Amino acid sequence: MRALLRQRLRRDRVQLAVWIVSTALLAYVAASAVGTTYGDTDERAGIMRLAVANPAILLLRGLPQGATLPAFVFFQIFTYLALLAALMSTFLAVRHSRAEEESGRAELVAATPVARIRPTVTTAVHGVAANLVLGAAVALALVAGAMPVDGSLVAGLATAAVGVAFLAVALLAAQFAHTSRGANSIAVSLVMVAFVLRGVGDALGTPSADGLSMTSAWPSWLSPIGWGQHVSAYTANDPAPLLLCLALALVCGAAVFALQSRRDSGASLLPAHAGRPEAAPWLRGSFALAWRLQWPTIAAWSAGGAVFGVVAGALSGVVVQAARQDPDLAAMLQTLVPGEGSVTQVLVSAMFGLVGFVAAACATQGVIRARQEEASGTAELLLSTPLGRVRWLADYLLLGVVAILLVLLGAGVASTVAVFATGDDEAHVGESFAAAAAQIPAALCYLGVLALVFVLLPSVTAALGWTLLGAGVFLGTFGGLVGLPQWARDLSPFTHTPEVVAREIDLSGGYWLVAVAVAAASAALVLMRRRELR
Amino acid sequence: MSDLVVEARGLEKRFGRVTALDGLDLEVTAGEVHGFLGPNGAGKSTTIRVLLGLARATGGSAALFGRDPWADAVALHRRVAYVPGDVSVWPNLSGGETIDLLSRLRGGTADARAYAERKARLVDALQFDPGKKGRAYSKGNRQKVALIAAFATPADLYILDEPTSGLDPLMESVFDAEIRRVAGEGATVLLSSHILSEVEQLCDRVSIIRAGKTVETGTLAALRHLTRIEVSFSTGPTDAQLASIPSVDDLESTGGRVRFTVDDARLPAVLPVLGALGVRGLVVAPPSLEELFLRHYGDAP
Repeated sequence: MRALLRQRLRRDRVQLAVWIVSTALLAYVAASAVGTTYGDTDERAGIMRLAVANPAILLLRGLPQGATLPAFVFFQIFTYLALLAALMSTFLAVRHSRAEEESGRAELVAATPVARIRPTVTTAVHGVAANLVLGAAVALALVAGAMPVDGSLVAGLATAAVGVAFLAVALLAAQFAHTSRGANSIAVSLVMVAFVLRGVGDALGTPSADGLSMTSAWPSWLSPIGWGQHVSAYTANDPAPLLLCLALALVCGAAVFALQSRRDSGASLLPAHAGRPEAAPWLRGSFALAWRLQWPTIAAWSAGGAVFGVVAGALSGVVVQAARQDPDLAAMLQTLVPGEGSVTQVLVSAMFGLVGFVAAACATQGVIRARQEEASGTAELLLSTPLGRVRWLADYLLLGVVAILLVLLGAGVASTVAVFATGDDEAHVGESFAAAAAQIPAALCYLGVLALVFVLLPSVTAALGWTLLGAGVFLGTFGGLVGLPQWARDLSPFTHTPEVVAREIDLSGGYWLVAVAVAAASAALVLMRRRELR
Repeated sequence: MSDLVVEARGLEKRFGRVTALDGLDLEVTAGEVHGFLGPNGAGKSTTIRVLLGLARATGGSAALFGRDPWADAVALHRRVAYVPGDVSVWPNLSGGETIDLLSRLRGGTADARAYAERKARLVDALQFDPGKKGRAYSKGNRQKVALIAAFATPADLYILDEPTSGLDPLMESVFDAEIRRVAGEGATVLLSSHILSEVEQLCDRVSIIRAGKTVETGTLAALRHLTRIEVSFSTGPTDAQLASIPSVDDLESTGGRVRFTVDDARLPAVLPVLGALGVRGLVVAPPSLEELFLRHYGDAP
């Protein structure tokens, strides 16, 4: 077990360090910046009242628990800390379980005198340890950001507990799926479901009399992230909900060990699909191949976009009805609108900011896929046929554009349907689609710029791709919160996404983004002529 | 020299400070099966990548059918079939899908019936299961995917990079038959290998490279000329009698056998002496390519 644990630590040392440090950094930046930006209690109370009235903000942030500075920080940042812990844990679990079995390395270990469940136990120990370190780092970072010690400890513990819960969930997912890709998509989907469930629960919660805090609705109690949130750090400081995380982890863990000790090495509960012995007639050319390889991923991203779309549409309907009964709420909501737009428009447009992230992520993954083809050697097989390099890359970019449009279209349709379903007579079909269309430029920008990275610096495509996306999302979402100067926020493409609810729509940002995207993509295609396969 | 299908002169390829090719020469004439020999890391795969326009030479010149493989890659690839040394396939495509896709890209499926026939014959001969997903294939099966795709569509030039390294001997004989078939139909084959018996059986001429340079090239008969013949027989003759044999080198007596090497030209003078000594269990063997290799790359004297 020692040797196995050491091997895991060694393999993960850089990756886990990056996860832990960046999560702690996010906690620190949020804690210290909120203090400087929103130092004034009245100001915070005002913002909190707006938030309580705005489901989109609640969905994206958390459960308001009063306007004190620490409670405000916990409200702003905890769900993201929990999300990062959950993702770190799922990737860790799959990396050391199903991915090992798939590659055959697990067989090497299983052939030694090591008990059948030993590697899984080691992975669990390794993952729990990683989460404890993460929790401690988060607590320290919050304390360093001038937050009270007891609440910071509770927040750190909650982060770790959510991570441990998803560690066990992902280990269980790895028992079901035949491939690591499959296991990862099951586990990450569950993380996203947990995030959205808690968001919906918070958004539909009941505000307190003073309008500064909320009791969440039941969906929040279906989500480990929701459980973590209910520790109410800095106010109630009640770690009891974390027992639910622990219970989930134990149940999943027991199931994992029961399955693991009964099945063959490499086998899975869901069977591997057999392939078709002959290619479909349409599978000719590199665009068709790119589609064949990527459609499941594109479908998954589109489903994610559609979920946000449904939430956007459904929530706006609920809020509009609430606002109709409560003139104060209506007035408050109206102050949120930069220009003048309907409440539906505001909410839909705020939610579609998230859909924009999803579309950009889908585009990013498409370009990274091209790099994976090159690194794994399948691109060599393709390019030894009469298929030019430039054509090959162009087909990938074309599919990237199609993917962006599909994600946004899915979200637009879902949102429109949801708005109609909630019976909001203010709904106009155009609004959801306008908000969706506004996201196209930023996503295209990611596609074009990353294509240029792929041509010039292929070996860093994946790392730089996700980093650029993460930085853009951070600057776009938290840039204002943590008080970064405007020029820093302007670095994010999402900052320039056109605001479609304003009376006078300013499209210049969109034009610039499209211009950057086209210039970068053209440069990539031209330079690809002279680029070797590496 | 219009019948040169592959022509490389002083080919150089550097990756940063590492020199992969250092003035390599290679000539393959139309219709021949040319062996391309060298130990791992000698630059065989790099040469092939340059010939396919996947990498660009940093010096020297290369031509395929008289054209620049970098600039005219797409046009040239219509006439070329390629099997990489380490075949990667798409993990979520079945073997059959991959074969069909590659063949269609090469335009080899225009005659659908002929293609289906050739494919079915190869799938059957190589005992390949086209219905499995790529991730489930072993190295040998991935190799079969590329081999079937290469031989199922007609080509003027077959470039094969260590094509049988994952195949069992039975499958190798299927491969040999395919090479003979395409060579019989007039195609040119460039076969890189370090499996010497394969090259000995199949190739008309060979080029031997080492550290990015061509060290020998010619027919196998011509290369054998350069080396020595090994003679061995059962122990029996006394040391004095052994010393009387002319032109002998590397004399040793181990495991009940006496061995020595002799220059090919001197062999006729040696044989009568051996006859007079009445040696038993006499073996006179031309050098295998293993020995050629040892001579050029090994630490052996």
